[in-house]
Amino acid sequence: MNFDWSKEQQEFRNTVKAFLAANLPDNWEQMAHGPGSASQTEFSKQFCGALAKAGLLIPHWPKQWGGQDADHWSSFILAEEMWAAGEPRGGQYMNVNWIGPTLMLFGSAAQQQAYIPPMARGETLWCQGFSEPGAGSDLASLRTRADKHGANYRINGQKIWTSYAGHADTCFLLARTGDSKKDISIFLLPMDTEGITVREIPSIIGEGDIHEVFFDDVEIASDAMLGEEGQAWEIVRKALSMERVGLPRFALASKVLHRAVESLKKLDQCTPGAMEQASKALAACESARLYSYHIVDQRCRGELPGPETSAARFATVTAERLVSEFVVEHVPDALAGGDPMLLVHHQRGIVAGIASGAAEIQLNLIASNLLELPREPR
Amino acid sequence: MDFSLNPDQAAIVAAIDRLAQQFEQMPTGFDGFVLPGDELEKELELAQYFDLAAVPELGPVAAALAIERLSRLPCTVEVALSMLLRPAINPEWPRPVATVEQGRPGRFVATAKTLVLIDAESVSVAHPGGNDVEAVESLYAYPMGRVTGEPAREKMTTEQAARTRTLLRIACAAEMAGLLQAAIDATVEHLTVRKQFGRPLGTFQALRHRMAECAVLAGGVKNLALKAAYTGDAGDAALAALQAQHSASRVVYDVHQMFGAMGMTLEMPLHLWTYRMKALLSELGGRGAQAAAVAQHYFAVTK
Ligand SMILES: Cc1cc2nc3c(=O)[nH]c(=O)nc-3n(C[C@H](O)[C@H](O)[C@H](O)COP(=O)(O)OP(=O)(O)OC[C@H]3O[C@@H](n4cnc5c(N)ncnc54)[C@H](O)[C@@H]3O)c2cc1C
Repeated sequence: MNFDWSKEQQEFRNTVKAFLAANLPDNWEQMAHGPGSASQTEFSKQFCGALAKAGLLIPHWPKQWGGQDADHWSSFILAEEMWAAGEPRGGQYMNVNWIGPTLMLFGSAAQQQAYIPPMARGETLWCQGFSEPGAGSDLASLRTRADKHGANYRINGQKIWTSYAGHADTCFLLARTGDSKKDISIFLLPMDTEGITVREIPSIIGEGDIHEVFFDDVEIASDAMLGEEGQAWEIVRKALSMERVGLPRFALASKVLHRAVESLKKLDQCTPGAMEQASKALAACESARLYSYHIVDQRCRGELPGPETSAARFATVTAERLVSEFVVEHVPDALAGGDPMLLVHHQRGIVAGIASGAAEIQLNLIASNLLELPREPR
Repeated sequence: MDFSLNPDQAAIVAAIDRLAQQFEQMPTGFDGFVLPGDELEKELELAQYFDLAAVPELGPVAAALAIERLSRLPCTVEVALSMLLRPAINPEWPRPVATVEQGRPGRFVATAKTLVLIDAESVSVAHPGGNDVEAVESLYAYPMGRVTGEPAREKMTTEQAARTRTLLRIACAAEMAGLLQAAIDATVEHLTVRKQFGRPLGTFQALRHRMAECAVLAGGVKNLALKAAYTGDAGDAALAALQAQHSASRVVYDVHQMFGAMGMTLEMPLHLWTYRMKALLSELGGRGAQAAAVAQHYFAVTK
């Protein structure tokens, strides 16, 4: 057992940090407000292009697709540094983490050629069309349909909460191709296809983040399907297992916590009560960090994802919550014209228990799969 | 970063697990509220397991794992301070080792051969004679004792005292990790077997979620304890002890709730874990003091 970073890992982290220092503009923290805003999307394209040139966009991808076959630690260290900096890759982190690798596994040669190289160059933005008004945690109840229509499919329905949809080039879309629970398929759908309407949803979490996407008789060729009809669950399960640790949210949370305490110091307001709260929040961040590291370590060893992934996610949600609560209580100007990074954290942190699988669903999974309690009646 | 054990660590962890399995049986009778592990203690002595941290290939990580495993047992032995503190501060100390904080009763004090006496900022060491200590009846599931005489004390240097506090925090977290896990395991079993309203209690989501939260806390404490054991760092130790005491206060309450009245009985000795946790909860100044230590190490705030 060893909790030190290897020399190579430390050097890699330093390289990423140096890249960030050299490539983030002075006004970056103000800009990091809207993860899907026009300005950040534009900036992210330029930033990811530069990352790609520096060999830092897809180090863990296979050489065949422009990567360096680096291990999972590289991608995780990269993700930690990016997230702690306010995620300047914007929505492109999804390409790097799971959309690209999923296409490598399940895409046709034509799909791979069309979509993977632009991701590797940092030029393209995707969105994930899973959730619907009636299908959140219960994703299997989704109703958007893709019906066979000659050589094409015709898509009708609605997605919601779709991040980055306003500027995305392509949607990784789940749609029903039959009536049974399993009859769901994946389409790689260009967002400029006729019949798609995107509406931004005004929100408390930053400009351009979440959207409604409507599909009205959208015609798409059969070869836009990823894998086979009805293969969605298998593919999605594999895709999400690549994301199994979730975002390294603890990295930004713990950075912001330190910033918040520094600001209290200047005001001489580090009361014992405040410091106890800060210390508990830090302990939660470090707990989440070690949970996540443990899973990355397992992954490097080629072990299958276990129920600990849900524990890691819940630990992360707890850390986000405690840091967020600390900031709101002790540095209230964070939400009123104060340090922009504290606001960025607040807006990203408050969704931790909802986006990408609600916390209560993780608790259900922990109860069934980690504790092996008897299951709830259905 | 590597969570796997080296071959020596894996071997010792397996050996301790085999030994522990012989002591899993639940008690039928009690002397007070404690289940002393005298036989286990003899086996640990015989195998020289109390000194395992001093073996370079094993180190404090193996000691922390041993402490975590042994504290999951229903019976209790002074393990944590012997395995973590003694090798680092003075391997010559006779064991058992116990702490006395501000003159209060402490765990294993009545049988200790080495006492670590903590009075505000000062830490000293004493080797009590038979008349210097006495047993105290208590609700805690550890044998408790107090100092009655005036054993000769040797004051530690500031550095030694700081090092001692760090190691005590790591020991507390490692022991708590095992207690948390054992209490959760016992509760999961109960929730699986006990039925109300025609179904096992464990199918009720209100309870499932609370248990899941407890499990996340327990796993976090174990990871933090192991990291602190590995680094020996004062900040890591403070974080681990803080998370341990914080988690225990929550878990103790939740597991007792889930047992209903049965949890109050000695027939279902849940108290063997929960009342050991309650004893550890107050140690080293409790959560407030661990938080202050975290604040000092990570935020450079000393107030
Ligand atoms: C910022 C943000 C970005 C997002 N981006 C995307 C995206 O890009 N693409 C996409 O497809 N989706 C996206 N989502 C949607 C996200 O995946 C869903 O919000 C999530 O799956 C939860 O669904 P819901 O919001 O409908 O909540 P619901 O499922 O309605 O849940 C509401 C509450 O009920 C609880 N609950 C639900 N079922 C159970 C149960 N069985 N037991 C106990 N409690 C239960 C939940 O835990 C939650 O607390 C995003 C969400 C957010 C907040």
